[in-house]
Amino acid sequence: MLFLQLLLGGLQTGALYALTACGFALIFGATKVFHFAHGASFTLAGYLFLLLWNNGHPAWLGVLAAIAVATGFGVAMERFVYRPIQRHEGGFFTVFVAAFGVSLVVQNLVGMWAGRGFVVADSSLSRATEVLPEVFLAPVFWVSLAVAAVLFLALGIFLTRHPAGVALRALSQNSDLIRAYGLSSHRLSLLAFALGSALAAPAAVLTAITTGMNEAVGHHVMLISMAATIVGGVGSLKGAALAGLSLGVAESVVLNFADPQWAEAASFVVLFGFILFRPSGLFGHAVAR
Amino acid sequence: MTAYLANLATLAAIFGILAATLNVAVGYAGIFSVAHAVFFGLGAYAGAQLALLVVPDALLAMVVAALVAGGLSLCLALPALRVRGEYFVAASLGLQMMATTLFTEAKGLTGGMGGLVGIPRPMILGVEVPTLALALTALVLILLATWLMARGSFGRTLRAIRDAESAAEALGKNINAAKALAVAFACAGAGVAGALFALHMSFVNVESFTLDQSVLIMAMVIVGGTGTLWGPLLGAVLLLSLPAGLSFLPFIPPTEIGAVQQILYGAAMTLLMIFRPAGLLGDMRTGRKA
Amino acid sequence: MSGAAHPLVCRDLSISFGGVKAVQGVSLALPAGKVLALVGPNGAGKTTLFNLVTGNLRADAGEATLDGESLLGLKPWQVARRGVARSFQDLRLFTHMTVRENAMSATERGSWFWQAGDAKARAARVEEALAATGLSDLAESRAVDLAYAERKFLSMARILAAEARIWLLDEPASGLDLSSRQRFAGLLRAANARGITICLIEHNLDVVAELADEIAFLDRGVVLAVGEPQAILRDKALAAIYFGERAA
Repeated sequence: MLFLQLLLGGLQTGALYALTACGFALIFGATKVFHFAHGASFTLAGYLFLLLWNNGHPAWLGVLAAIAVATGFGVAMERFVYRPIQRHEGGFFTVFVAAFGVSLVVQNLVGMWAGRGFVVADSSLSRATEVLPEVFLAPVFWVSLAVAAVLFLALGIFLTRHPAGVALRALSQNSDLIRAYGLSSHRLSLLAFALGSALAAPAAVLTAITTGMNEAVGHHVMLISMAATIVGGVGSLKGAALAGLSLGVAESVVLNFADPQWAEAASFVVLFGFILFRPSGLFGHAVAR
Repeated sequence: MTAYLANLATLAAIFGILAATLNVAVGYAGIFSVAHAVFFGLGAYAGAQLALLVVPDALLAMVVAALVAGGLSLCLALPALRVRGEYFVAASLGLQMMATTLFTEAKGLTGGMGGLVGIPRPMILGVEVPTLALALTALVLILLATWLMARGSFGRTLRAIRDAESAAEALGKNINAAKALAVAFACAGAGVAGALFALHMSFVNVESFTLDQSVLIMAMVIVGGTGTLWGPLLGAVLLLSLPAGLSFLPFIPPTEIGAVQQILYGAAMTLLMIFRPAGLLGDMRTGRKA
Repeated sequence: MSGAAHPLVCRDLSISFGGVKAVQGVSLALPAGKVLALVGPNGAGKTTLFNLVTGNLRADAGEATLDGESLLGLKPWQVARRGVARSFQDLRLFTHMTVRENAMSATERGSWFWQAGDAKARAARVEEALAATGLSDLAESRAVDLAYAERKFLSMARILAAEARIWLLDEPASGLDLSSRQRFAGLLRAANARGITICLIEHNLDVVAELADEIAFLDRGVVLAVGEPQAILRDKALAAIYFGERAA
């Protein structure tokens, strides 16, 4: 039963990882920007929700505010950091360093303002009950899975049906193609940032009411998203989501047998192995070099 | 006050070595490692264990540290030869995270979170030497080596590879060997810095070898200017004097100095990348290619 | 057709990319100390053939030999060290290095911290290469700041300095004006006189007529004809293929 408990806990974490990773993969696929500040979207969204919730505001307001702040942050990053750098033909490392700088600023500002250490939004959703002998589940488990499923479904429909979604997918295949069709790649990359960042918000809110947030959580989330994107295969949202889910499950299982340190290390052993032996990832179509 | 300044100068020299050697990888070889603190740590543990268990000889400690860090640089060279760009950054991040865990958990070798304590004062041939002199000498030698290398054929080979890898290969250059050698040099240098650090502090634990430290070293290189001789040194001095300078500002509570410092250098990194990507001493015409 | 008369020989080289046969069963021999021109429409497989010889691509079948020794499975730098130098259509200069450093780098093959051999001889070779390509006055300019023709000559200077026996040149003269072209022709003639064997990809048939001792005509990965320049250039069927009117 312990195993089942771990598996279910892993699924919940994994579903949230899948959402954030998918956002990161969407941005990287469509704009080729390694959005290393993606974790900061997550942090901001989670903390804003916490602030509103703890001040007695209704949950829907918190969720909306979280989505707004994540989206706004992503769009601002594209507009004020990445685009100026790309105008100077800055390489990926320039982009990486700039993004890292921003995430440091966000992490420490949040730490100064909200205090360091874990904060949890107390909610009836996270109260676990025994559903099977020795297996405990909180309603938030079902909420997490449902939210992830609904969002993936919506994203799938958007990317295959809506013209802008189709254009986004095309952009991740071939950016010259888009220019040839006269579509504005600027507006599309804004869209990619908005959508990708928004995907981090629900995950952040759900994390805030289950395991809680700390100011460094964005870092962890970012590393997981990056690992999932590469393991899943760059250019494949499905791959990133699946890899995110598996990393969540793996983490939960490892956590039970070893220190939390090892759980994160395990993800990176997997990432390192993939980069060395299969850099195109599980579902990737292009080899990295 | 003198002790305070000597301590600061020693740390500046140690971080100067770290930044200068990372610059060889980042600025000349185009290998963007965010795992430099791993090799700093390996050198520190190797030097500390040698001093604790065998003999507190500074030269021997530095040589052993360089060999350990240089040898294990293969862990970084391997992905550098396989992948590039974002993938390599991801790989080096992965390496950094794995190493942090190993440093924490391999308590027999590293002392875990508690670290290694009571590292004896450094000696050379049985005579105790101040760490400041050691660190400055090492810094000068490493800067000299870097300068000679950058001017010589090896530096040219690395720059050629950075500019047009396939053309360099078509001219008969063994690119893998050159990159692996550059990484080994950079990591061995970090190892030397690690040994100096252990001997200077007489205490080391994992907290000095985390991702934050790697990022700080990277920030030093970037703020000063990649691919320049003096840039990394300038960056090291600037970023190290930042917390010292901040502690003189009355309106910042002491508990927040760490955070303010991180905010400042985070902001500096971002603003520099937007407005002056080649760093303070960098050649604006060159910019940085990646 | 091997040995001293033909230092570099390709036998039945073939490669395909995702079902497209880029090069199929190409057999060619470079005549020693002469210029062989590869001619053919775009996508004929000329550059691919270079890549197969230099080890940038691995052939599905067939092999290339240098003085009778197979080049199969060698890495590009190993092929280069056996005396094969190549240029690239897009030049691939070391853009942020000076002209002299570009040429200097071509003489430095060791990947260790220092170079074996006589440094003075290497420096002399660099100055020679710069003088021969007319770049001596620009020696301290960065490659990225050069004009178009100067870049093309810098690409040649690297090859001169590299001291190879075989030159594989990918459109080295394209876009050059008449006087530059003549200077370029002089370089190749001088190289031939020193016993260097040259294979040249060229689109401008005037240049080909002026320089080539022999022409190989490629289309869709197949060698259609090899022979004297006059014979090939006058062939009506080949001209039709070259200028895009496919003879069915």
